[in-house]
Amino acid sequence: MAILTANSRRDLEIHRYPAFLYLVVPLAALVLQALLPRFLGRFAYFDLPLVITIYFALARRSPIQGMFLGAFVGIFEDALTHHAIGVNGIAKTVAGYLAASVGIRIDVQNIVIRVLLNFALTLLCNGIYLVIYRGMLGLEMDWNWFTMIFQAVGNSVIALLLFPLLDRFQVLD
Amino acid sequence: MESFFVRYRNLLVLLALLAAQILGLALQIRRTGTGQASFGQHDDKGQQLIRLWANAVVSPPERAVQSSKTGVGWIWENYFDLRRVRQENKDLQAEIDQLRLEQAQLLEDAKQGQRLQTLNSFQQKYIYKTLSAEVIGGSGTDLSRVFYLNKGKDDGLTRDMAVITPDGIVGKVREVYPHSAQVLAINDQSSGAGVILETTRIRGILRGNAAGQPAVVNILADQRIKPGEKVLTSGGDQIFPRGLPVGTVDHIDKDPDRDGFVEVVVKPAANLNGLDEVMVITDTEPRFNDKTKKDMDQSASEKGAEAAALNEQLKAAQILEEKLPGLTDPNAKQPAANGTAPATGAATANGATPATPPAAPKLLTPQHPDRFSTGYSSQSSSAPKTTAPKPATSKTGADTTGTGATPGTTSKPPVHKPATVNPGDIKIPPVPKSDTNLESPPPAPAKPAPQPQRKF
Repeated sequence: MAILTANSRRDLEIHRYPAFLYLVVPLAALVLQALLPRFLGRFAYFDLPLVITIYFALARRSPIQGMFLGAFVGIFEDALTHHAIGVNGIAKTVAGYLAASVGIRIDVQNIVIRVLLNFALTLLCNGIYLVIYRGMLGLEMDWNWFTMIFQAVGNSVIALLLFPLLDRFQVLD
Repeated sequence: MESFFVRYRNLLVLLALLAAQILGLALQIRRTGTGQASFGQHDDKGQQLIRLWANAVVSPPERAVQSSKTGVGWIWENYFDLRRVRQENKDLQAEIDQLRLEQAQLLEDAKQGQRLQTLNSFQQKYIYKTLSAEVIGGSGTDLSRVFYLNKGKDDGLTRDMAVITPDGIVGKVREVYPHSAQVLAINDQSSGAGVILETTRIRGILRGNAAGQPAVVNILADQRIKPGEKVLTSGGDQIFPRGLPVGTVDHIDKDPDRDGFVEVVVKPAANLNGLDEVMVITDTEPRFNDKTKKDMDQSASEKGAEAAALNEQLKAAQILEEKLPGLTDPNAKQPAANGTAPATGAATANGATPATPPAAPKLLTPQHPDRFSTGYSSQSSSAPKTTAPKPATSKTGADTTGTGATPGTTSKPPVHKPATVNPGDIKIPPVPKSDTNLESPPPAPAKPAPQPQRKF
């Protein structure tokens, strides 16, 4: 348990990144999320904007930044669909908030924590989306739990590869 | 109060964001008349603005990616991927070469199949028994126009068998080995085949000249021989069956050694320089196919039926002849006592012709004899005799026996009485066609009858 807790100063420090990265990486994630399904078809089991939201929320350890980032990419995703704008925004806002809240308490540098956090938050995000769409809005929607699980696994794998890559852009004090 | 907002700042911001978004969702949802929730047909301005911004942000990178994908793809396909294309090109070239080889092989097989089909068709129609063989080699020099077959003694080939193709004769088997045979072509100078020109019917010997062309030699110059005339085998050489095509007359050359003789150069019907498959006539006994045999059997049966019908007609004619009155006296004695055939001249009951020539009909006595009647005499004019005349006392002095026997052999020469002979009384009976049997006794002389008597 001591391994998972952030008990050192290094673990609690806030990671900083170049300013452009806060803009470019989310936009790149949004563009890729819009592009890649064209080539992968139904095998696009991932949600890159969510992975980026989780990463920055964990790295910044700021729930507010995480919430705004989540809200931004969620609304952006909704804007690219013909659905109501805000469903993904709400889900990713919650995901950003939780990721940042968890990042304050645990060691987010651990790979296992990153993978598990991505897996859990992806499932949560999809659950929130389903609740809002079916429960709050009362709209019909086909839903496949296997698709949700595959997407969670896909996000975990992407996080496993992408997080170390983005860590290289950290600005060290 | 300040500490509350600071302490729960994150949570309050979360709630605020969620509330704002939920409010926004509530504004987007419309209730239908049945209570079902649905999105509006058209976005409001706020939504349109958000979607426009999102699209404006995403579209340029997407367009750039698309164009770069095209450009990168073009660069990749036309530059980086050239190694694969080069390898592919190499493989395709090899495949083309292989296909060309296969095509050439298939073409050769097809040609061979056509040739074999023609050969087989000719072999089936040909009346003599033949054996197909393939040309496997040659002599390698123009001085010896021989080639070798893949069939030999073990396949039934012997020397001096004719080698032909459906187009014409080729040569004859010169030497026979166990599994091969040497064939001397007709255009070799040492070859020889009896031929005949189809139109002019001029016979000659075909052999090769120095140029390797078959020519009919040792024939007299004849203006009727024209180029294009067909040359056939005459069958006189006992090798080539008669009537096989040899070729056509190409041109006529004068024989330089002998005046008045010409050499008829023949364009061979068979392609002597490109032989692949030939046929060797192994048996000159006619070999008829099933259809021909059937036709021949049918002809034989029809011929037998015709003979039987003719026999029936002969029987009917004999029966009628027996029943109807004729020239013969039905009351006359039949010379059947000695077992000989009756002297009616008709066919016997079994249809065979009589062994002995028919005797002269026995003439009846005229009811009113005159001086021209046979046996008339002034003493017996009132009552003419009807006895058979004696040959020795014949008044004509000629052979009246009807056998053609000459006088002085077995019969007594007649006694001539010129003073009493009237030229009008001379009657020469017909001479039988059968050979004269000098040893057989002459039959009774026929009485010359002026008019046969018929009974109705």
